[in-house]
Amino acid sequence: MDRKPLFKRKTAISYKTEEKTVMRGYNLSELAEKGYSFCDALFVLFQSRIPTGNEEKMLKYEMGAFLEHSMSPSAAGAIGVIAGRPNLPCAVAASVMTFGGVHGPGAAHGYMMNKYIERARVEGKSLDEMAKILVDEYLDAKKPVMGMGQPQHPDSDPRAEPIHVKQEELKLGGVYLEFQRAIERHFHARRKKEGKSRVGVNVVGAGNAALMEIGFSPNAGWCIGSVCRGYSCAAHALYHMKKGHAWGASKREPMVQMIDLSMIKYVGPEDREVPKQEERQEYAGKQKEKGEYKKWVI
Amino acid sequence: MGDLKSKRKIGNLGDPRMPYDYSKREYGTVPPDTARESFRWVSEVAYKNVHRIVARGYDTTELVEEGYGVVDILFVDFQSRIPLVEEEKMLNYIMIMALEDGLSMPAALSRIVAQSKTFLTQACGASILAFGHAYGAYSAFGNMLEKYLVRAEKEGKTTEDMAEVLVRENLNSEALGVSNLMLKDPAAKGMFIHAEKLGVAGKYIAFTKEIVKSAQKISKEPVDLDMLGATGAVMMDLGFSPEATWAILAVTRAFAAGAHYIEEVERENYTQLGQTLTPKEDYDGPADRPVPPLEEREKIAKPVQTHTPEEWKKAFVERQKLHGSGYAIVEEIKDPSKKT
Repeated sequence: MDRKPLFKRKTAISYKTEEKTVMRGYNLSELAEKGYSFCDALFVLFQSRIPTGNEEKMLKYEMGAFLEHSMSPSAAGAIGVIAGRPNLPCAVAASVMTFGGVHGPGAAHGYMMNKYIERARVEGKSLDEMAKILVDEYLDAKKPVMGMGQPQHPDSDPRAEPIHVKQEELKLGGVYLEFQRAIERHFHARRKKEGKSRVGVNVVGAGNAALMEIGFSPNAGWCIGSVCRGYSCAAHALYHMKKGHAWGASKREPMVQMIDLSMIKYVGPEDREVPKQEERQEYAGKQKEKGEYKKWVI
Repeated sequence: MGDLKSKRKIGNLGDPRMPYDYSKREYGTVPPDTARESFRWVSEVAYKNVHRIVARGYDTTELVEEGYGVVDILFVDFQSRIPLVEEEKMLNYIMIMALEDGLSMPAALSRIVAQSKTFLTQACGASILAFGHAYGAYSAFGNMLEKYLVRAEKEGKTTEDMAEVLVRENLNSEALGVSNLMLKDPAAKGMFIHAEKLGVAGKYIAFTKEIVKSAQKISKEPVDLDMLGATGAVMMDLGFSPEATWAILAVTRAFAAGAHYIEEVERENYTQLGQTLTPKEDYDGPADRPVPPLEEREKIAKPVQTHTPEEWKKAFVERQKLHGSGYAIVEEIKDPSKKT
């Protein structure tokens, strides 16, 4: 059997021989045998260290809270993909890939925190002062403050504040929690001043502050959050695969299905005749000249 | 809409073999179906409202406040139950072992995607796609165990006898769970020992042990339990279905694929379109040849249609010689909608 490497890379993450698999210097079997948890192993993977007991507890809590989120873009993505009955991993992969700029933007939130904490250091400002600057800069520029607001949980994500409290209970508060709390305070104050409703912290704001506090980089935090969701999306896909109808348009179901024809609402150009090929140049020329098509260009 | 009348036949659409009159087809969308309940996201797994996220009946925030973690919640989501402490320990063990595998396919895919300057999540998702019916073939392995255990019961055979049947029928399968991959690495056997120590070993581990014994008797080369067999059997003894096992372990590996993405971005350069060359010495297709003038196309091109089964077979065999045509892959797909 050919066991040559697929491609050549220098890596500081792991090596694998016929005898063992070693991650950041630790034999995986030894880690597992000695009773470390999967969450411990994630610290080894991303930070090359064994965490403290409380750090491990924090990650366990956070991943537990983040794993299942019922219907969100990730679960909808998995269910949509499995409707065509590809191999299950396709649906799971799709769910993880839904994590972009607005669905769990963990890395972006982390980079924002790092940037402004650095500014506080360089400009000699307190974290509280810099949090106000951040909120004002974002809101003046009409940009959403990352970590605040969740469309399905308008008066605060049920997971968010408990994550903050757990971080405090485990005595893991530090620069990130202090800064995140200050962002929330100034955000609420400004919205109140402007007569706007309260928008709570979301799980990225709370969760990412905790993840960064326990040493994960913005990208590592993003990876942990979005990949963790893949587990529950696999369950959603599997449920539809095993107990639902493929395609999602069955007329035999008592409920109208996801892509039943009646679910389509069309708001595009009026129905129109297909021009004959002989008329094409003139037709296309007029269409281009008139320019009405431009409002439909996407 | 809906008032357009077609005044002419377009292309073949007036052909009498069409199933209905194409010039009279309606425009406009289908009206909402009021005879049936309107569409909703139906789920047995989870729901949420403004203040709660509930998985299999358990509020997830209450679960984590009570000290349950990610590993416990996998049992909740996939099996609708709280695991025993020993089961939670065993799954932790498995997930550590499944997390990292060096620069194997998931890491390679993640790194290749990373080279194109993508989101991290795109690379992690791509790594999951590496799990098929050869690499990480947990679905194939688990369903194979299920199938032969059912057969043993139906045919009144012992698991020892059925293991031999299974090995004879699947000796060359990548999903056998027994191979020459772990002859020097005790990790696979260690997993069974750990499961036994924790008291979570059951019929799947027992059957897999019989499979190993049979394979060692039948195979001409030394073989032993491999990570697929060990992990697959223990996961099934923990109550996970073959498909759940497949998904859980693919996702578990994706965390490390994320680390590989990060390292690739940190240590390597991005790759642009057109940058990568394929050396001619790696090419074994037709020799370089001139492209014929378009006007000569009809003189040069030979139609490939065949008109008798004999002609068809001859052409088929000929086509199988062309790598990349797809003719050399013969799969029997009974019902693709049932294939996981």
